[in-house]
Amino acid sequence: MIDALAAEWLKLRTVRSTSVVLAVVAVVVGLMALLAWYAAHLWDGLPPGRRDHLEVSSLPEVTHTLASLCLAVLGVLAFSGEFGTGMIRTTFTVLPSRGRVLAAKAVVVAVVAFCTGLAAVLATYAAGRLIIGDRPVRGQSAEALSGQLPLFLAMSLSIAMFALLGLCLAALTRSAVAAVATLVAVWYVLPIVGFNLPAPWNERVGSILPGALAGQLAGTGNPQSVGGALLSQPAALAAMVAWVAVPYAVAAVLLARRDA
Amino acid sequence: MIEVRELTKRFGRTVAVDGLTFHVKPGRVTGFLGPNGAGKSTTMRMILGLDRPASGEALVGGRRYDRLRHPMREVGALLDAGAVQGGRTPLGHLGWMARANRIGQDRVVSVIEQVGLAGVARRRIRGFSLGMRQRLGIAAALLGDPGVLLLDEPVNGLDPDGVRWIRELLRGLAAEGRTVLLSSHLMSEMELTADHLVVIGRGRLITDTSMRELTAVRDVFVRSSRAADLATALSAAGGTVAAEDGGGLSVRGLDPVEIGDLAARHAIPLHEVTPRGASLEETYMRLTAELTAEEANR
Repeated sequence: MIDALAAEWLKLRTVRSTSVVLAVVAVVVGLMALLAWYAAHLWDGLPPGRRDHLEVSSLPEVTHTLASLCLAVLGVLAFSGEFGTGMIRTTFTVLPSRGRVLAAKAVVVAVVAFCTGLAAVLATYAAGRLIIGDRPVRGQSAEALSGQLPLFLAMSLSIAMFALLGLCLAALTRSAVAAVATLVAVWYVLPIVGFNLPAPWNERVGSILPGALAGQLAGTGNPQSVGGALLSQPAALAAMVAWVAVPYAVAAVLLARRDA
Repeated sequence: MIEVRELTKRFGRTVAVDGLTFHVKPGRVTGFLGPNGAGKSTTMRMILGLDRPASGEALVGGRRYDRLRHPMREVGALLDAGAVQGGRTPLGHLGWMARANRIGQDRVVSVIEQVGLAGVARRRIRGFSLGMRQRLGIAAALLGDPGVLLLDEPVNGLDPDGVRWIRELLRGLAAEGRTVLLSSHLMSEMELTADHLVVIGRGRLITDTSMRELTAVRDVFVRSSRAADLATALSAAGGTVAAEDGGGLSVRGLDPVEIGDLAARHAIPLHEVTPRGASLEETYMRLTAELTAEEANR
């Protein structure tokens, strides 16, 4: 397993798509800093009485949402690139245990996604604090890092969950296009559909969608999003695990059965 | 040693490989021949555990490929030189393979040098020609210094120098006692490279024989100014004689020495005595034509 992990780590590092995705995440963080600067600028320009009307989305939350999609795409490309080129046959002759290949890819992708996600969320938080400073802009938490850390860790876990979902979808569909399309449906379309369901189903469905789990896991709820907040912390964690475990199990079975 | 036993593979209703049994022995190059769709690549994929057989088994060194702990150290394979990700360099591509099979990185550098890609070791594979990709694929097959090699059409896209290089490489590897299974559609090249042949058609074994037997001397072509007298004398001595269209005689059952001695005894002048073997191409065409005819009759 160590060999498979080392090999998959080397593979992930030596394709260009990895650095492209990570660069996009860096750009997202940069945009958040720009947004913070703009918010601070607006706030300074407003008469004190009207400053209360200015509300800006929580910047780490936006980074979390966008980085989820970026790293999910990274997860897709970590597998679909091999199916597209026929390289999967090379991979399975080098490492004949397909379960081990999937597991190694999953570990590598999850670790990369978690670390990248955490770095991006923390960088966004730091940029926001530095730029907005002690201006009490609505929507921006002035809480110290120690108080925010559980939420940031939950967001990073959520990003890793999306990345693994992407990886498993690529293993299932063997196509980057099909995997990314499914992913975007889960990431963007399903929350909108869920939000427009009649009550109480809108909140019920909104609570179990992957994008809503980080807030529920951290116990902060989802004050600014379409997601619901009905799950307890353990239930949110269980839902997160299920979003990975179910597609993973199906992918493992299909990989072992199909001809490469 | 590769053992293929009663191997069968179906794709839907099509039987791609049908109860195929053969052994590939070490110390010689075994050519794997058959028309397109005969099941060569499917058989190779099953040997490598990529396709699951419907029944039967393929063993490498007595074990199933997917039971090998470090398969590249025991079996080197080149199935499709295009099966690489273009964004990687040869160092990266061979690097992860080496890491997965606990092969040292110094070995990566040495196989890259061996196949003549040292100058492009840090370039992206995307820009490589088919010939360079074949060399990279061969480097991957050699990476683990394996005792068994499986190569599917390795000379595709290689220039004449490259073709000769592969031939000498494979013959050298077989001479070291390794097992080499090589498929190719280039009959003249196969004739120069292989010692033994496995020919399949429609998923079934047609023949499993040595190159020498397949291309053995078939007849002796003789020209003489007194062809009719010579034909009588040769027939009397037990030869089977047939006149050829362009003049001259095709003689079976007598070797050139016997023919020459006989002609001298009868004082018949000889203008040409040529022992003729069948070329691999002719024999192959005959073997696969029989198969096609048999299919048509069913």
